[in-house]
Amino acid sequence: MDKTESTPHYDVIVIGAGATGAGTARDCAMRGLKVLLVERFDFTAGATGRNHGLLHSGARYAVTDHESAAECIRENMTLRKIASHCVEETGGLFVTLPDDDLGYQATFVESCHKAGINAEIIDPKDALRIEPAVNPDIIGAVKVPDGAVDPFRLTTANVIDAKRHGADILTYHEVTGLNMSQGRVTGVTLRDQRTGATRRMDADLVINTAGIWGHGICAMAGIKVNMFPAKGALLIFGHRVNNVVINRCRKPADADILVPGDTISLIGTTSSRVPYEECDNMEVTPQEVDILLREGCQIAPSLAYTRILRAYAGVRPLVAADNDPSGRSISRGIVCLDHATRDGVEGFITITGGKLMTYRLMAEWATDLACKKLGRTAECRTATTRLPGSETTDSDAPVSHGKRHIIELGADQKAALGRHGTMTADIEFADSNDALVCECEEVSVGEIRYAIRELHAHNLVNLRRRTRLGMGTCQGCLCACRAASILGNELGDRRQALTDLCSFLNERWKGMLPVAWGQTLVEAQFSSWLYQGVCGLDPKVLPAVRKADRTSAECDQMQQSVK
Amino acid sequence: MIYDTIIIGGGLSGLVAGVKLASAKKRVAIITSGQSALHFLSGSIGLLSAVDGEPVSDPIASLEKLPENHPYNKIGAGRISSMAGEAADILKAAGIVVDGNAGETRYRLTPLGAWEPTWLVMDGIASCPHPSKCPWRKATVVNFHGYLDFFPEYVADGLREAGIEAECHEVKLPELVRLRKSCSEMRAASIAKILRGEVLRKLAIELNALGGDSEVLLLPAVIGLKSMQETEELQAMVKKTIRYVPVIPMSVAGVRAQSMLRNYFEKLGGTYFLGDSVSRGNFSDGRLESVHTANLGETVLEADDFILATGSFFSQGLVAKPDAIVEPVFGLDVDQTAERTERYDKNFFAPQRYMRFGVETDKEFRVSRGGKTVANLRAIGSILSGADPLKEGSGAGIALLSAVCVARKLITLN
Repeated sequence: MDKTESTPHYDVIVIGAGATGAGTARDCAMRGLKVLLVERFDFTAGATGRNHGLLHSGARYAVTDHESAAECIRENMTLRKIASHCVEETGGLFVTLPDDDLGYQATFVESCHKAGINAEIIDPKDALRIEPAVNPDIIGAVKVPDGAVDPFRLTTANVIDAKRHGADILTYHEVTGLNMSQGRVTGVTLRDQRTGATRRMDADLVINTAGIWGHGICAMAGIKVNMFPAKGALLIFGHRVNNVVINRCRKPADADILVPGDTISLIGTTSSRVPYEECDNMEVTPQEVDILLREGCQIAPSLAYTRILRAYAGVRPLVAADNDPSGRSISRGIVCLDHATRDGVEGFITITGGKLMTYRLMAEWATDLACKKLGRTAECRTATTRLPGSETTDSDAPVSHGKRHIIELGADQKAALGRHGTMTADIEFADSNDALVCECEEVSVGEIRYAIRELHAHNLVNLRRRTRLGMGTCQGCLCACRAASILGNELGDRRQALTDLCSFLNERWKGMLPVAWGQTLVEAQFSSWLYQGVCGLDPKVLPAVRKADRTSAECDQMQQSVK
Repeated sequence: MIYDTIIIGGGLSGLVAGVKLASAKKRVAIITSGQSALHFLSGSIGLLSAVDGEPVSDPIASLEKLPENHPYNKIGAGRISSMAGEAADILKAAGIVVDGNAGETRYRLTPLGAWEPTWLVMDGIASCPHPSKCPWRKATVVNFHGYLDFFPEYVADGLREAGIEAECHEVKLPELVRLRKSCSEMRAASIAKILRGEVLRKLAIELNALGGDSEVLLLPAVIGLKSMQETEELQAMVKKTIRYVPVIPMSVAGVRAQSMLRNYFEKLGGTYFLGDSVSRGNFSDGRLESVHTANLGETVLEADDFILATGSFFSQGLVAKPDAIVEPVFGLDVDQTAERTERYDKNFFAPQRYMRFGVETDKEFRVSRGGKTVANLRAIGSILSGADPLKEGSGAGIALLSAVCVARKLITLN
């Protein structure tokens, strides 16, 4: 178990493969540094995969946090170019409801303009024409350049580009310790979550991009960074209720943003302080569901009778600044810490705070600091170099515009093009690879195989994040066994794939449980019946779940059984 | 229109009750949307395979361990055996051939290669008295190229676990490749519509050409949507014995069973209102006098007795709201847990309390409304409370036996 082996020397080890970690690995690699990106679970397993998927215009922060707002709008414009296959240019509205103060609108628009955000007051009637789902009783509306961004695709694209520039990637490797020598961080000790083996990795510099879990990474070096774990819960609806992002034009509060994304819409978020120990297993409470639904219906009344697919929650990695219990008045700003100057620990950087929208900027700051510390002088090119999937020979036309005209493609190929952009060229559709695994999201056998072979997908949850498998209305009910069968054959371990199937079904159920009524309960009952009845699937007779493949629901059960 | 009995719901329990009543020369009508949980049947009918998580080998002997309000206890343990026999006879009379008897458990092979304990297994579906007593030495698992709802390697694994040699083969039929051109069409029911006549003959040639020394060919259960004609034809053309393994629904065996029961019901003189649903009832003096349907407008349907067989959540016989579970047709009293957090277990594979929810009934399966028993409205099948059909493996058994029990009662009453 404790076999320790020696390994190559890196310039930089990046800890945590959320958007920021993936972006930092990409930036470092593009500047010629030898990089290793390590992640204890899967890409986007933390806050990156648990948010709105909102391409913020920055308008939301304009009044309360000018700096964040200005950063947001700059990155917004950058991402539209470099990550066009991850971005949907939906536009956004800030609407004033009869109960809200219309006077806020003027302050809001003025602050937007100061931050460089193109905010335009429009007639509420026009707002209804732009977005028919919006509450018809609105008394004010402002148009802003919001959009939708797919955080899974965005992170994967950054990882792929990092690899193309020579970076090494290790998922399911947990940092169990920082290697220290004479007050200096010299690398990390990793545990392979699949085999249990540990090994040391040496580097001149370690960059901590572990989000809220960065608190624990710092503690390994005896450094205290007061993270502020602020939980945010969201609900996913069964179809695209709206095509334009709808925000409430008031000071940021619970459940005031409705974002369309792919086949669904999302309402969120709540905000509440949670103990650091609970960050690994966020559960959505009935109270949170009720708040989200009540407030959501104010923005778009049809939510009251729209099926809710699931509920989930993420943890914002805010750095505690004051004692605000809601976590809203503190800045979403970026915190970049050089622990040499702050704490006297050389070779260690933490980049945190910020948000999905500013992941690239955070990566740039961290890499700038890294280069400075390592005495390198390379320029940052991430703001102008398109990500894999968004490369196009036609210099300024984003892929998303061209793809709508490709009518000769099959549904599966069109869907794959939407997800992987120009990388779709690497997917095999010939022979029976065009057979659909996931009908809701039109994921084909070829796309599943591509994700397993090229995108670090080792289990069904990974496949979901890479392809949207099981994210649609059936919540994996019909596609999970098809995908498990392909996975079992591709990885050569069919029994383990069945264990993984159980794990995946538990993970889907976890999100359905808080909203298990109406059609969602029907779907859950059907799933239970299909898998436990027709298929006779019984986790008790299968191999144990590997730690690496455990869902949070299973971690939770294990904790309970330990208690 | 006046009937002796109106049955609301045309799934397994509604159809079996209808057939039994019609056989006794009763004027019976079934009102149904046409879809039912039968369309998702596994190909086998369980009676009781586990109680409180403990597997049972003799279902009849284990009835006493069930809770008091369990439907089987309302039927009466002493009558289960004879009713099970009668239920099987009703299926046979409709042309549905089944293997098995109530006193012993059979094992059905699942698409993931598990051996699922059950009671009656429909004709042709691969099963045996016990995995260790399988009659085959070697089996060939055959799949259609590009068909994803059947997992041949897993089925082969399940066979090997039972000590049977197994090999997998794929058959390529051009007619099915065409089907895949609209990707989501490569599903059981669509395939069944193609596998007939000339295509069936081509399949037989492919199967005969496989050769090898196995005694049995295991195919996905995607043949014979309306009757047993195609499976019989195929067997007649193929040298080796063919057995079928259930697939991801739609279940061809289930659709066929529903179709055969419906035909038999109509042959017996029953009236089948297809594509209709009951919208509300007229109650008077603790009785249901008549019902309105979506299609008939102001015309009411009257009957001496009514049977509610609308199924569980899955069939919309029960509807879950955030704060309560309701029976949507008549607003009947429902057995349920008050708090929504108490309905569910976090572990998907643990017993779920919501599975036990259903309409409250007295010992004769009469429902209640506002706390008062409705004298002539009885519930049967999976809308009943008190059982965990999934964990007990009792869903189809309860559907059949409660149907026979209530039909018997109505025949003796009038």
